[in-house]
Amino acid sequence: MVERRAEVVGKMKMLEEAAAPLINFLQNPALVQELQSDKQSNLQKLNERHQIGPNQIEALYQFAKFQFECGNYSGAADYLYQYRTLCTNSDRSLSALWGKLAAEILMQNWDVALEELNRLKEVIDSKNFSSPLSQLQNRTWLMHWSLFVYFNHENGRNAIIELFFQERYLNAIQTNAHHLLRYLAIAVIINKRRRNSLKDLVKVIQQEQYTYKDPITEFLECLFVNYDFEKAQQKLFECGEVIENDFFLGKQAQEGSFVTVPLRDEFLENARLFIFETYCRIHQCIDIRMLAEKLNMDYDDAERWIVNLIRNARLDAMIDSKMGTVIMGTQRSSVYEQIIESTKQLSIRSYMLANGVVAAAAATQGYNL
Amino acid sequence: MASRFWTQGGDSETEEEESDLEYEVQAGAKEGGQDVGNGSKYLRSDSDSEDSDDQKRVVRSAKDKRFDEMVHTVEQVKNSMKINDWVSIEENYDKLNKQLEKVFRVTESEVVPRVYIKALVMLEDFLAQALANKDAKKKMSPSNAKALNYMKQKLKKNNKQYEVEIEKFRENPESEVEEDKDSEMMDQSETESEAGYSDEEPDKIIGFSDSDAGDEEPEGGDGPWEKQKTRKEKIMDKQFAKDPSEISWEMVDKKVKEIIAARGRKGTDRAEQIEQLTYLLRVAKTPAQKLEVLMHVVSAQFDVNLSLNTHMPINVWKKSVQNVLSMLDILAQYPNIVLEDAMDPEMENESQKGADYDGPIHIWGNIVAFLERIDDEFFKSLQFIDPHTKDYVERLRDEPLFMVLAQNVQDYLERIGDMKAAARVALRRLEHVYYKPQAVYEAMRMQSRSVTTGENIDDGDSELDDEDRQMTKFSSDMKGPPAFVSVLEIVPRQPSFPELSRTLMDQLLSLIYRVGDERTKPRAMLCDIYYHAVSEEFHTARDLLLMSHLQDSVQHMDISTQILFNRAMAQLGLCAFRASLISEAHSCLSELYAGGRVKELLAQGVQQSRYYEKTPEQEKLERRRQMPFHMHINLELLEAVHLVSAMLLEVPNMAASALDPKKKVISKNFRRLIESSEKLAFIGPPENVRDHVMAATRALSRGDAEKAIEVIQSLDVWKLLPKKDHVLKMLKGKIQEEALRTYLFTYSPYYDALSLDQLIKMFTLSESQVHSIVSKMIVAEELHASWDQPTRCIVTHNVEPTRLQALAAQFAEKLTVLMDSNEKAYEAYTGGSLDGPPAGRRKESQDYASVTTGRWQGELSTAQGKQSSYSRYGSTGQRSLFNVGRTSQSRVGGTGGYKDLRSTQGNVRGGTTYSSTFQSTRYQDAYSSVGRTPYQSGSSVRGGQTDASGRMVSLTRSGRF
Repeated sequence: MVERRAEVVGKMKMLEEAAAPLINFLQNPALVQELQSDKQSNLQKLNERHQIGPNQIEALYQFAKFQFECGNYSGAADYLYQYRTLCTNSDRSLSALWGKLAAEILMQNWDVALEELNRLKEVIDSKNFSSPLSQLQNRTWLMHWSLFVYFNHENGRNAIIELFFQERYLNAIQTNAHHLLRYLAIAVIINKRRRNSLKDLVKVIQQEQYTYKDPITEFLECLFVNYDFEKAQQKLFECGEVIENDFFLGKQAQEGSFVTVPLRDEFLENARLFIFETYCRIHQCIDIRMLAEKLNMDYDDAERWIVNLIRNARLDAMIDSKMGTVIMGTQRSSVYEQIIESTKQLSIRSYMLANGVVAAAAATQGYNL
Repeated sequence: MASRFWTQGGDSETEEEESDLEYEVQAGAKEGGQDVGNGSKYLRSDSDSEDSDDQKRVVRSAKDKRFDEMVHTVEQVKNSMKINDWVSIEENYDKLNKQLEKVFRVTESEVVPRVYIKALVMLEDFLAQALANKDAKKKMSPSNAKALNYMKQKLKKNNKQYEVEIEKFRENPESEVEEDKDSEMMDQSETESEAGYSDEEPDKIIGFSDSDAGDEEPEGGDGPWEKQKTRKEKIMDKQFAKDPSEISWEMVDKKVKEIIAARGRKGTDRAEQIEQLTYLLRVAKTPAQKLEVLMHVVSAQFDVNLSLNTHMPINVWKKSVQNVLSMLDILAQYPNIVLEDAMDPEMENESQKGADYDGPIHIWGNIVAFLERIDDEFFKSLQFIDPHTKDYVERLRDEPLFMVLAQNVQDYLERIGDMKAAARVALRRLEHVYYKPQAVYEAMRMQSRSVTTGENIDDGDSELDDEDRQMTKFSSDMKGPPAFVSVLEIVPRQPSFPELSRTLMDQLLSLIYRVGDERTKPRAMLCDIYYHAVSEEFHTARDLLLMSHLQDSVQHMDISTQILFNRAMAQLGLCAFRASLISEAHSCLSELYAGGRVKELLAQGVQQSRYYEKTPEQEKLERRRQMPFHMHINLELLEAVHLVSAMLLEVPNMAASALDPKKKVISKNFRRLIESSEKLAFIGPPENVRDHVMAATRALSRGDAEKAIEVIQSLDVWKLLPKKDHVLKMLKGKIQEEALRTYLFTYSPYYDALSLDQLIKMFTLSESQVHSIVSKMIVAEELHASWDQPTRCIVTHNVEPTRLQALAAQFAEKLTVLMDSNEKAYEAYTGGSLDGPPAGRRKESQDYASVTTGRWQGELSTAQGKQSSYSRYGSTGQRSLFNVGRTSQSRVGGTGGYKDLRSTQGNVRGGTTYSSTFQSTRYQDAYSSVGRTPYQSGSSVRGGQTDASGRMVSLTRSGRF
């Protein structure tokens, strides 16, 4: 252990020495300000005035990497940032970016990490990779790492949907990271404003059904493909467990002596809403008792919940409290109405047309005369 | 035979060679020939040459006299030649021949006098000259010209007999006229007599008698000539046999060249050539030469059968396999020998270098071409052998033999680093494996093992080793040195198949994907797809197919690849069916059945077309493309699968859109069948697959699931399925579900409410199934109803328009279209739009426009009428429901709602319809990730709109060549 430590320290010393001129230079803010946006001229200047050549810059990279390995993430992040401003090699700068992202994630600077993530994404999308395969791999990594960021950043759930639903990334998921579907599914379910992506998601899930399955995707499948509510209910129950045990999802929040998993509760709430909505769509008359059972609530809660929904004008229904049922309002226009509606415009339009023709004819006539 | 032994006791080598000859070549003519041969001996050889040696000198004087006569005649011939008098030439020529006979009689031997030969040569030259000079020929008097023609024929016939002598004479006209005449005569007399005894073929005797009589029979001519050649060959043989050590490399080389030069010429006996070459093989001096000769042997063996339409004899095939194997032996033993396709002519003496020569030796040859030819011949023989005979099975047993060969060739090619060729060979091997399910593969493996072990034990009469054994026998019989270059059997003769066919496939595939070329890769891919489909891995197969974009590129490939593609598609369809993916199965198979030319598309038999006559060439071409029987996909099964899946999709579809004239047709083919079966006055009990399915369709469209199931299950073809029970169970479930759907479509307008329990009972489905199906239909707006949960009922809303209403709606819609186009016309005419219309109407008219243009544009048009009316539901009624997500969309207006609905509808109806762009881009991006198909990065995107829908390849293009 001691030996190892000595070795590590020795190495660190060595690397530090190698990178010393550059670090010294960088620690001098006045000098740093001199640097301009143009990399080439910067390098030239460095070389002329401070005797800092490519070797030193390379040493900086190694040093930063070593720092990272030693656990000094903030140092590593700083150095990598500076390295990036100086480096010309695009591969290296990519790995520097990865390093920076890793450091930020490990330091839990989510805002910065998100920034880094976006930067990295841009680089990956725009860069020419030697083979499409490596690009795909990079994308897959990026998505995995992004889980850290997205499930910890407050706006992450929106961003994750945006990222994952981008076609290229969706392709990447389908080809070699099916398990990411789970996170995508959860993000979609939780996110109330993102209902329209649900359809796409269900499609993807169905497509990948033969390779990947977990309670969450199965839940969606039960609900939106098979309309099997019993099973969906059951899956929902399993989902709760899965979420609790998931590293990214099962984040616990402590309130006093209560330990809750906020994400799970949110998920369950939204899922319940989903079930109810779908249920209502195909029913005319629903027994509240049964509904309560389906939604894992007791009778009064369910009733209150429905009333709230109705009051918020999200549901066109009435409660028959005597029978204990919810009656859906139906609004269907009759065939007559439809036909009338579609032909209503015809007479006006043809009138206009006829007028136009007459006018035009008159004009030409007048012209001829 | 016995007689020959007797006469030629001393000359065992030649004897052996000869018997070899007969054994190999004249196997067919043997029995008949021998009798006649024996007879002929007594008949003709009154002067038996046994004692010719002793008698020769005694009759010298008489002989001289005859000779003088001949010389005189020859002089006369010369004279008449000078004046170009063909009539007298002919006369003298006949005279000469008579004199020759006399000479023979006197000398009691058949030695041809040199004078005679000289005269023949002279005549021949002169004749050629005369024939070449066309003008002179025209000027000739009729009698003269006639005589010339006679002479031409006679000379041709006669000269054949003395070809050897003539050639010899030509080679050295002056020398050896007198030079050691005796010994030569001895030699020749021996040969002659030998030839006399070996006269075995009847046609030969005819030939002999003909040559003098000048008969016109054409077949007669071949006999003696052939025999002459063998005689010549025998001289060579004898020379070799006498003095094996004297045979030099040059001699062999010369002889090989000679034989090769004769190759392909008309009238060359190919079997004969092989014999000669095989013999030369034994005396080849260096390994390189041996290899060279082997090359020639194999190509000569290929020549045995010239016609493209028949296959090579099987024993010849086997021998050529053995020969190629021994080539590989040589190549393995002497790694410095290099086979080259294109070689400089000046390097042709490379094979002189001995076995101990270190540098590279270049030999002309292409072992891959041999292998491919062997494979082609194997394939062809399977095409031609009647599949119901034992021969066919026997022939199939030879497959492992080929596999060994291919494996060895591939190993060799990999060793020398010719990966391109190795990939080609790998593909050949692949094509022998890909269609075999594991069980069949296992059988082949076991069988090949048992064959080889059995051979090793009895070491006897298996045909495969026949030649080798003969060779060794000969060499030991010869008591001389055995073959100069003995080559150990290095290359394994036993096939080594991996346990699982998948392993073998993977090995081959990875090689091909790595180094294959434009043709091998797609073929390998198709084989892979086929194999996956056979082994029940539908998704893998489908992904492979879609990722490789083969549907796009296959159109540009050669016909056999297209056939392979069609086969793969058919198999994929069957696989999808077994995996109960009905719509996938249907989309795979429907195109195959679209043109009614399944047999042609799969190359499983020639289909007669009523409308279109094929030329014989086309038919021949088609026959050549046929698949051997053991590779066939059962057509009945295929048809059953196709029709049943079409039925399951089409019947509810028909019920759903019974009133809609613009109904979406899923399977045109199936619709046609239904129509024709509806026309029948009487419907008999079902006989074939089609009848069965039609009967089931009738039952199903009434919602009578039980009957339908019963009819479908009574089909015989199901027993061809590997998991019959499973599939039938699946089918039963599917039919029940579709019957329920059909029932609901057809009868729901007549009910106010339907009880869930009753439906369960009617279709014997579980509650959750019924619930799920009905819910799906409700959500997809196929069924205008909703559940009434407390009473377990489906309450129908009866918004489904009556016939009158539907027609009225259609009419209204047509009016709008008319209106719209009027306005457009007006705008186009006046150049400006109407100014008056209120803004709201403008917007709406755009909506309409989008609807109408959509109709004219896409395939979706068929469903448009119905959907556009839906879109109005969508924007009015539906919005007020729980469109939490949709409100934003319906604000856009009718089109937005329409889109939304369309996708739902498509989704449910198609089972798993994927949106096309989605799918295609996915695979475009994905192809690279798998890394298997990097070659089509540029190909255009065409996603399956239903997932594995590939386009069937039509063969008409090829048919019109």
